Amino acid sequence: MSKPENMNFTLEGDIPDNSLGEKLGNLTLEYHQSENTTPFQLLDCFDQSIRQSGQALIYTDKELLLLQADGTMLSQPAVKADGFLAEQSAGTVKEALSCVSPLRRIRVVGHGTFSDTLVNAVDSEKKTHARVHLRTFRVNATDSGMTQATLQALRGYDSAFELLKHKIIELGYKEEHDITSMYTRLIPDYQPYTAKPVIDITQDELAFQVANDIIRIHIEIARLNEPGIISDEDTEFLHDYRVLLRKVRSVISLFKGIYNDEQTQTLKSAFSELMSPTGRLRDLDVYLLDRDNFFGLLPESLHDGLTIMFNLFEKERNDQVKKISKHLKSAAYNKSINSLLILFSGTADLQEGPNADRTAYLYARELIWKRYRKVCKIARAIDSTTPDTEVHELRIHCKKLRYLMEFFSPMFPAKTIKDLIKALKVLQDNLGLFNDYSVQQESLQTFITEHTSKDSKQNLSIAKSVGALIAMLYQKQLAERAKVISNFELFDSLTTQQQFQKLFNT
Amino acid sequence: MKIIACYSNKGGVGKTATSVNLAYELAQAGHRTLLCDLDPQGASGFYFRVKPSKKLKNETFFNDVKRFTQAIRGSDYENLDILPANMTFRDFDIFLSRMKNSRSRLKKALKLVDNDYDVILLDCPPNISSLSESVFKAADHIVIPVIPSTLTVRTFEQLLDFFKQHKLGKKKLIPFFSMVQRQKKLHTDTMDQLHSRYKKTFLETTVPFSSDVEKMGIHRAPVTTFSRNKPAAKAYHSLWNELQARL
Repeated sequence: MSKPENMNFTLEGDIPDNSLGEKLGNLTLEYHQSENTTPFQLLDCFDQSIRQSGQALIYTDKELLLLQADGTMLSQPAVKADGFLAEQSAGTVKEALSCVSPLRRIRVVGHGTFSDTLVNAVDSEKKTHARVHLRTFRVNATDSGMTQATLQALRGYDSAFELLKHKIIELGYKEEHDITSMYTRLIPDYQPYTAKPVIDITQDELAFQVANDIIRIHIEIARLNEPGIISDEDTEFLHDYRVLLRKVRSVISLFKGIYNDEQTQTLKSAFSELMSPTGRLRDLDVYLLDRDNFFGLLPESLHDGLTIMFNLFEKERNDQVKKISKHLKSAAYNKSINSLLILFSGTADLQEGPNADRTAYLYARELIWKRYRKVCKIARAIDSTTPDTEVHELRIHCKKLRYLMEFFSPMFPAKTIKDLIKALKVLQDNLGLFNDYSVQQESLQTFITEHTSKDSKQNLSIAKSVGALIAMLYQKQLAERAKVISNFELFDSLTTQQQFQKLFNT
Repeated sequence: MKIIACYSNKGGVGKTATSVNLAYELAQAGHRTLLCDLDPQGASGFYFRVKPSKKLKNETFFNDVKRFTQAIRGSDYENLDILPANMTFRDFDIFLSRMKNSRSRLKKALKLVDNDYDVILLDCPPNISSLSESVFKAADHIVIPVIPSTLTVRTFEQLLDFFKQHKLGKKKLIPFFSMVQRQKKLHTDTMDQLHSRYKKTFLETTVPFSSDVEKMGIHRAPVTTFSRNKPAAKAYHSLWNELQARL
């Protein structure tokens, strides 16, 4: 016999006082009502990670309250509502919010007032047999609100639980399996957000239509990140924005023959132009987010030069944020991205290529199969003497393969495609690090060249520290390089080969 | 799952108060806790307003797995359930001895609730005569309230002798000073003596003699729930903190 579970119910509107009556069988119902209605702020990250984890986070009266999926309410003191989770003191709520990325700022997404009432069904000894927590949330004074009832199960008192449940249902409460419905209920223009949209594709849809849909939706979601980049709330807005636009660009280059050559070229340069102003800011974000790790790579005696470098990065970052804010607010940018959106919404003006009329399913299989074969061909030829350029080549093809599988995933068995992407991910992460270390060495070398032209104590310090950092990154790059062969062997299992064959070989 | 026994071979030393307040502290710290009231006087259950179990009286308790789990009652507090009193002294002996016997039905019964609880806390009756080696083997830790007075110290030393004679590991014994009256020289002297005689054995925390603990009988609740800022409540909180480090 396991422990009984709590149940959640919701009711549109307010609950009248003492609505459950005074008695529950032989038990007496005791009401403990909060004296006032309390203002609250509903919180979530921009990526809605809290709602997606099945929880709801509320700030009220210097407390963070976390309503969990089973109706349990956790609480902890908090000095403010918004900010990064790391800024909050240790507590049960913070501990339960493992879904929140340390890079994401928690923000106020809605507000209103709430009142709560605890109803205990007690026996002659004043022992509680059943308990229900009623919480009414309102957006404003005219809103009739929504009431959430959490029926708490106490072990060994099943009949009282059943009686109280019956009474709640009689009052019109509906069982609620998703407590996060309060986000949609309390925020009028609430739109679910995902940085990885799964676009509905049917097998017989035309490849041209599929490409247009993917591009349009990715641009729309990328644009949702613009206000966050401008206000510089956290670094993830820019990251998502860039990933989404990069995917658009890869659709254009990977979906060969969907648009004619001239159209493909125009689109490629249009999207590259959109992305290029943001590149430096992202590089700086990556350095600054990883600051502690960089310091950890060098002995303390070499920290001075790094401190100078990171101070310069911070300053440069401030300038970049201003520059990009201006760019995103500019008429030219808005005109350019809007016209692209219109282009992919209407499609009449897009010039089709020879593959435009092919069905999505056959087209996808061919693209993925070809790319998979290419990945295998390059990877199988890699040994310890292969030049780094080949390894870079492999990374690019792996990325392309991953994007293709993600774009077309709705047309294939979900579990298999998920497993294949997962298998690829290990190799991809490995290659990604290999590339990051290589790119960072180059960019740091440029940094040294730019900042040490004059002899000064500061410049000497930079040269020493950053030089040492480059040496460390080189060692790390070598270590990643050494893992590539074994990671490919892991990916290249017989099962994976067979699955690729079965799903994609035309 | 850990089994902690709250035990003393002498009555009236604050054993039930310790069990009740410790169980509450454990639960508040997020540990899913089952407090078993093994004292036939049923004081632990009384403090949590749980009525004594009528159905579970004799051997059937051990033989009827379903009844065992059905007898558990949720307390009014999060993470804390109670198994109300239902046994005789003789049964208590059997209860503990079977707890570590893999073939026993009781073991199976506990297995059933194993996933439900992190800690099972036993409020034991004050008796040494009917306790066997297996009784002490059953618990992972044995928390012992000791009043720093001649008679209680004597019984504590009897317990130590018993452990020595029966070659039982003394490590699981965790004594602390209970119902301490600092204004009494006898109490402070005794504590000093015992601290130096049994180095690092007694917990640093001492629980004071307090009318707040006596008031638990009126409030029928753990002391923290109605006197959070009083010395007794603070002492039980600190007792739990210190104990946590030893477990």
